[in-house]
This record gives sequence, C-alpha cells and structure tokens, in this order.
Amino acid sequence: MNALLPVLLVLSPLAPALISFALPARLAPWRNAANIGFALVKLALVVLLLQGVAGGAEYEWRAEFVPGLYLLLRVDALALLFVTLSTFLWLVTTVYAIAYFKDGPNLPRFFGFFNLCVMAATGIALSGSLITFFIFYELLTLSTWPLVVHKGDEKSMAAGRVYLGYTLAGSAALLLGIVWLESGTGPVKFDDATDLTAHSGDTLRLIFILMVGGLGAKAALIPLHGWLPQAMAAPAPVSALLHAVAVVKAGAFGIVRVIYDVYGIDIVAALGLGVPLAMLASATILYGSIRAVAQTDIKKRLAFSTVSQVSYIVLGASLVGPFAIIGGLVHLVHQGLMKITLFFGAGALAERLGITRIDQLDGVGRRMPITMAAFSVAALGMIGVPPVAGFVSKWYLGLGGLQSGEPWVIAVLAGSSLLNALYFLPLLYRAWLRPADALPSTDEMSADRPWMLILPAAVTAAAALGAGLLAGLSFSPLGWAILIGEDIYLP
Amino acid sequence: MTDPLLLLLPLSLALPLVLAGLSVLPGWRAHSLAVLPLAPLPALAAALLAPRGAEMVFPDLLLGMRLGLDPVGVYFLGGAALLWTLSGVYAARYMTGKDRPGGFALFWNLVLAGNLVVFLATDAVTFYVAFAQVSLMAYPLITHDRSARALKAGTVYIALAVVGETALLLGLMLGAAEAGNSLMIADIRSAIAGSDARGAILALLIAGFGIKAGLIPLHVWLPVAHPAAPTPASAVLSGAIVKAGIFGLIAFLPFAAGVTGWGLALAGLGFSGAVLAALYGTAQTNPKAVLAYSTVSQMGLLMGALGIALIAEAPPGPALFAAALYALHHGLAKGALFLGVGVMQTSAGAWRKAGLALLALAALSVAGLPLTGGALAKIALKGAAGGLAELIITASALTTALVLARFLAVLPKAEPDARPPLAMLVPMGALAFAALLLPAILFTGAAGEDLAYALSLSNLFAGVWPLALAALAVIIVLRLKPRAPALPEGDLLIPATALGQAVWRGLAHAAHRAGTSLSALPRRLVPKGSFLVPLSALMGRVETRLGTAPAIALLAALLVIALVWSGLAPD
Repeated sequence: MNALLPVLLVLSPLAPALISFALPARLAPWRNAANIGFALVKLALVVLLLQGVAGGAEYEWRAEFVPGLYLLLRVDALALLFVTLSTFLWLVTTVYAIAYFKDGPNLPRFFGFFNLCVMAATGIALSGSLITFFIFYELLTLSTWPLVVHKGDEKSMAAGRVYLGYTLAGSAALLLGIVWLESGTGPVKFDDATDLTAHSGDTLRLIFILMVGGLGAKAALIPLHGWLPQAMAAPAPVSALLHAVAVVKAGAFGIVRVIYDVYGIDIVAALGLGVPLAMLASATILYGSIRAVAQTDIKKRLAFSTVSQVSYIVLGASLVGPFAIIGGLVHLVHQGLMKITLFFGAGALAERLGITRIDQLDGVGRRMPITMAAFSVAALGMIGVPPVAGFVSKWYLGLGGLQSGEPWVIAVLAGSSLLNALYFLPLLYRAWLRPADALPSTDEMSADRPWMLILPAAVTAAAALGAGLLAGLSFSPLGWAILIGEDIYLP
Repeated sequence: MTDPLLLLLPLSLALPLVLAGLSVLPGWRAHSLAVLPLAPLPALAAALLAPRGAEMVFPDLLLGMRLGLDPVGVYFLGGAALLWTLSGVYAARYMTGKDRPGGFALFWNLVLAGNLVVFLATDAVTFYVAFAQVSLMAYPLITHDRSARALKAGTVYIALAVVGETALLLGLMLGAAEAGNSLMIADIRSAIAGSDARGAILALLIAGFGIKAGLIPLHVWLPVAHPAAPTPASAVLSGAIVKAGIFGLIAFLPFAAGVTGWGLALAGLGFSGAVLAALYGTAQTNPKAVLAYSTVSQMGLLMGALGIALIAEAPPGPALFAAALYALHHGLAKGALFLGVGVMQTSAGAWRKAGLALLALAALSVAGLPLTGGALAKIALKGAAGGLAELIITASALTTALVLARFLAVLPKAEPDARPPLAMLVPMGALAFAALLLPAILFTGAAGEDLAYALSLSNLFAGVWPLALAALAVIIVLRLKPRAPALPEGDLLIPATALGQAVWRGLAHAAHRAGTSLSALPRRLVPKGSFLVPLSALMGRVETRLGTAPAIALLAALLVIALVWSGLAPD
C-alpha cells in the first residue's frame, strides 16, 4: 500500500485525461463528471497521505526504466505541501473551467492536457530523485503549451512560441546541470545528502547556476521572466493554474529541492551562492512590482505581480535559517491561494462583463459583490495586510532575513508591500467607490449568476483568509511548513 | 480552571465580528444599525470585571493569539468601549435613512473589533493584526459619503496608513528578532532597550504609532479625515482610534531605560504639536476640523509627556497611568464634542442653549478647568512629567481653551423649532458627564494621590490662570471682531503634496530623459505623477528590445560556458 499510494496519486489525473481525450464533445457532461470525480478521488488520496506522513509513515515507489536509472516517487512533507496545494486548486479550477468554457470549441483537447499538466505537477512534487524530477518537469513544459495556445489566435500562438523558447532553453540548462552533477556523484536522490566531493567548488558553482538558471526560467526570475506576461493570452483558468501552482511553482519548488535536497543549504552558503541568489530574487520582487504599476490590463498587472511574488519563495529558500525557509515554503501555498483567487476574479470579470482593463472596473463591486469581495481579500493579502495569509509569509521571511544576518531583506519586503499597495489599492478603489454608471443594472446581473464561476473564488479567498487566521493550527500551511523547517534544522 | 470572567476577553472580539458578519446578509442589513450599541458591551464588562494580569492563549489563531488585560490597558479598553457604545447609539439614529447602512455597520464593527484587541493583545502579531485592521477598515468609514471631499480625505488617509503600517511592521520584525524571535510584547519591549538597532526600531515604531496618534508632522490626515467621516465615525476616530497609537507607544517603548535621543524627539514633536495645532485650529471654519486640530494638540501633549517618560530612568508606572487617565478623559470629552456637532444641527431655542452649555462644559474640561475631570487628568500628567514639561502642559490650557472657543463659535445653526432626537442627545450628554465625573473616581488609583491634592491652591491656580487669559482673549476678539483668518484643512499636507508632486515630476522627467517615450503610455490609469510609470516603461522597452532571443541566448551562452568548462575542468 505504501508503494502504491504515490503511484495512484500521480496517475489519478491520467484517467480523466484519457477520458477527456476519448469522449466526443457531445458527451461533455460525462467528461465534466469524470474531471470533478477524479479530482475528488485525488483529494481523498492526499488526505490519506497527510495523515500518514504526519504519523511518520513513509511512502516510496521505484521502478528501473533504463538499466541503472530509477524512476523514484517518494512522499515527504515538502512533497505533500505542494501536492495538497495543487490537488485542492485543481479541483476548484476544474469547477471554474467547466463554467468558464461552457461549450466552447476544442474542450476535449483542453481538459485532456489540463489533466496531464496536473499529473506532471504531481509528479514533480513526488519526485524522489533528480532524474525523475526532470522527466516530469519536461512533461509539464510540453503539456502546458497546448493550454497556453488554446485560443489558437495569433497572439496565443506567439505567446506559445515565446513560452517554449524560454522553457526549453531552461530545460536544456537544467539537464546539462543534472548530467554534469551526476557524472561525479552518481544518481542524486533527495532523501539523503549528496556526496559532492567529486566536483571542485567552481564546478559546483557553475552547475548550481545552470540548474537554478534552468529552473529560474519557469520561476520567472529576472531576466528570464519575459514569457510570463505574454502567456496572459491563455484563457483565465489556465492563467490561474499556471500562476498559482503549475508552471511558476514547479520552477520555485525545483529551486528549493536543489538548494535543500541536492546541495544542502550549508554548502550553498559556503559556496557563496545563497546571498547572490537572494539578491537576484529581491531584484525580481521589486522589478515585477514596478512593472506591475504601469500595466493597464488587469491580467497583465496580475502577471507581473506573479513575477514578483514567486520570488518570495526563492528568497526564502536562498537564505540560511529555519524562519526563511518556512516563510518561503508557506508562501508557496499562500501565493497560490491568493493569486488563483485574483485570476478567478479577472476571468469572471472578463466573462460576465467583458472587463479586461483597469479603467473599466468602476463600480463592479456593486454588480459582482462576491467575486469582488474575494478579489479584494486576495489583493489585500498580496499587499501583506493581516489577517490574510500573505502577512504570515512576510513575517517569517522578514524574521528569516534578520536571522540569517541579511537585514536588507526587510527593506525589500517593505518596498514590495508599498508597491503592492500602489498597484492593488487603485483597483479596489475603482471597484467599490466609483459609481457603476457604465455597467448593466443589478437586476440584469442577477438574472444570470453562474455559481460555478463565482464560488471557486469565494472558496480560495476563504482559504487564504483561513490560512492566516488559523495559522497556528498544526495542519495549516504554516504548521506544515514549520514541520518541514524543523525537519531540516532540528534533525 | 480559568476564571470564567476571563472569557469576556475573547467575547469582546467575537461579538463585533459576528455582528460584522451578519451585517452583510441581505435580510439582516436593515437591522444592522440597531444592534451597533451592543457590540462593545462585552469589552465594557471586561474592563469592569475581567481579572487583571491573567492571559488567555489561543494557540491555533494567528501565530498563537494571546489576550490579556494589564492595569494600564484597562483605562484604554474601558474608555474606548464606553465611547463606542454611546457612539453606537448615536450612529443607529444618525445613519438611519442614509445610504448603505449594511456597509457602515460592517466596517464599524470591524474597526471596533480591531480597536478593542489593540488594548488586549499581549503578543506582537495579534497586536499588529488588530492595529492594521483599525487602520485599513477605517478607510470605508471615512469615505462612506462618497463625496469628492471624502474620497480625497480617504486617499490622504490610506496613503499615510499604509506607510504607517509598513513602518510598524518593520519595527516589530526588528524588535522580535532582537527578542530572540519571541512574539511577546513584554519581551520585545525589554529587548529594544538593550538592542544595537535601538535607534532604528524606535524611529520605525514612533513613526508607525505617531501617524495614527497625530504626531506632527505626520498628523495631516486627521484634519482632512475627521470632517469627511460621518459624525459618529469622527467621534470614534478621534476618541478611540487615535488612542490605539498612544497605546502602542505605551506598550512598546522601552521606558525606564534612559533613551535620551528619541525621548527628546518625541517630547519636542509632541509639545510643539500641542501648541501649533491648537493655534492653527483656531483659524478653521469647519467645527469638525477645529476638533481634529484640538485632537492633534491633545495627543501631542500626551506624546510629549511620554517622551519625557522615555528620557527618565525612573520606573514609568506613574507616567503611564497618568497618560492612560488623560487618554480616557480626552476620548470621552472629545467624543461628546464631536457628537455635539450633529446635535447642534438639529437644536434650536432652549435645546440649543442647554446643548451649548453642556458642550462648553466638556470643552472646559478638556482645557482643565478646576473641579472637572479634565483638571484631574491634567494634574496627574503634570505630576508624572515635572519640570519644564509641567509648565508647558499648564500653559497649553490657554491654546486649548482658544481652539475650543473657536469650536463653539463655528457650530452649525439649526432651523427654528428644531429639537434634537433623544437618541443623539443622550449619548452626547452621557459622554460629557462621564468625562466630567469618571476621572474623579479613577484619580486616586491612577495618580496615586488624594483628590484633596487636586484641590490644593497651587493646582487650582495652575488650572485657572491660562483659562482666565483665554477668556480675556475671547472677550477682546468678541469686542473687536477682527476678520478671522481661514486657513486650509491639512496645513502641511498642501505644501507637502506640492513638493511631492514636484519631486515626482522631476524624477519622471529624469526617467523620461533616460530614454522613454511617454506618449505611448496610458498614464491616466496609474497614480498621477508617479515616476514609476516612466521607469517601468523604460524597463518595458528594454525588455521588448531584448525580446525573447537574448534571454534564451543568455541560457545558451551559459550552456556553452558550462560545456567548455567541463571540458577544461581537471576532474
């Protein structure tokens, strides 16, 4: 059973993927039922695993796919943090996507790749070795491309090309790094310390730069972030998943694995790599925020906000000390909850009122109160307003910066908070305080209330609020991140 | 077994939150105003009955929420709860028939919950959460009218509030790190005293709390926000919310550690604000703006006294109790004066005379007329401060009396035969009487002196002479009828905005010159004049010029370097 669970978990999205590909478009209700059903099954599996891992159980599965090369799936606390997030958000995004697309074209293809993408993200989380990680990482690159270009128009295709350009180049760098590293160390597993003595310090530094550079292309570290704002051409549910869990998080998660489970944070620090990476992450945080300020398109602004916020995770991972890594890891979850809420909101605005630009937002709070309330909670959370979850991340990252002797980190956090306020508060101001003259009346709006488009945002916003309010619970994202942090620093 | 009365502490938080939640339900919205006065009652009961010094821990909430009531906090909690209750009665009547009662009740209750928890939190995170709640959720109250003026006031307010919150967060993070990552306020306070980063932490905390409490030159939001908010909201803003800043200073500043530099700075800024704001307030024409300046002045006095206590090396007990008593009295009296603005709008004839008499009494109490509650609060504060500060506090009664005389002079007129609704008149009267009488009950406990001490000849004289001078000045003004100057609300805000805009423009110009074409920019969607726009456009251009290829080329170059390196590497 303990070997089976991780496999089932990875394969659980494969079934709805195949069903979606196979079923003709007219059987859409069956396809939708299969998608939601398997998402629920996966959630149940995750709950089972959470209980097991909290109780100290070990789950591992391996298969030799080339002589000497193992496919290794392993469930540790860090893997579960990512899997739980992706499973929960997959479920709500599925519900949302069904309402969003209604009966648009090419949906079998869409839901097929959508599920493959989720399978890849799950595989990335559960990978127990570098090579397994790389395989799923590539699967993710390939399975997200059809989603990015789903609309098939000129803009989407261009965005798709840019996306592939960045991510394939990144993958090449990552692969070279992996091969080079393993040429000296043998296959690298995440659960035991790698013996790096075969390589010189300079070689290790270069390999680190290759791997983090390759992963950084997905995590949108500057100057490798250019694809992300362009990928906004994708439909809203895709953007939501891309920004919250799938692609950017896979990159950030990979960086955490490289720092903590491939090199080890002490070696990263000793090689003098941690602080420069933290500085690069900080530069990305500020750069993304400054770029967000000048965007007039809602999704574009959110995209640059993602560039900025994902680097919080990298920042937390690159600083030595338990508080920093706890802050980084908990932000992996918190940013996901908040950002997906924002994209759900942006998608609902575009779908129901045709609003895509910020200057069209006047008065939408009156017409779409639940969506905009959820959007507001998430935006405040991004700024770091307590008690929404973003504040908890900031608190731990700030203390982590001080703990590792890098006090400038708190200035970066403060600057980011101020910039976030500068680009999010005007949206809330327009939505709630400006008159709704240009919008259809409340009665017209209430005639058609697509609940499946409204509720997902409310659920994720409530989760973001709950993650902050109940941060002290041992099963909260923070509680889980502390568990991981203690595991690293208090063996 | 915990004392069951300790449960009043979480209940103080829970009831307003429940009422806030209810007020968004469509079926309940219409009733949400009527229950406003109930929300602060558990806190009022807690101030009277809950055991002091005990603590309740909720490990699952936030980062481990801890609530407790210390002897100084009781004054703040009790005063705030009383003010919120009576203002709630007033608001239920005042807001009836106005737009969006549900929204008003929602944010009223959220601010209330935060305001109460500020006085109850014993860990820094809970404190910060509550403080931020007060700051940000007050914005919808200030802008409730949606008038152009209210929106402008709201923008000034929110900008300062966000900066204040950020400064406070930085200060608390640094403090918590110095305290070995402890979250307890007591630990942080003692860690600050001996910290290497003491100067930076104090600067951040004083800025963060000073913005809320109206420390000049960070006070500029008060005179624009108070007049813009609905009257009951102005009352709690001035009476209870600014006290959150004062309480923050009391809770976090390391007293008795002989902090000279920042102590002097706080005392200097506080006392100069006490005099300057009152003088500036006499040139206002809006009664609520006059009161706002009076609040800046009174809080300046209080912060000046705290600055003196920060310099001192003696245990701060007396100074903090005196400050708490002073804050309590000011909250009640100022609440009565603000509510009076609305009452006077609907009072004519005998009602008007009676109302004016009551307001004059409350105003004289704030100015420290002997035998009033305000005199007792002032004597307590003076006793703790001593020296030059004592003289300043005594003399400030003169400017206070002048600014409040101005307030009485500019009160709105009503239609003939108008009579005020009881639900507005009674809360005003109750607050005025509470301000006059409550300090007499609390004086011995707070000042450690007999009431008889307050009646000593020197204290009576110190209370009377500034008022006599003020009366003289008022008589001269009434006789000569000089044209009163009318200065704009927000004083420093105006040059500061102009300067800020000039600086932004300069930076924008510089960024423009650095190679940006502004014409292509949809600027109007971004905060006006922000230099970030051209800066960001510049970044955008660089990004587009670089395009996709170079980023990929960068990775490719890395690959080549790596391959060459691996060929050359000795291993």
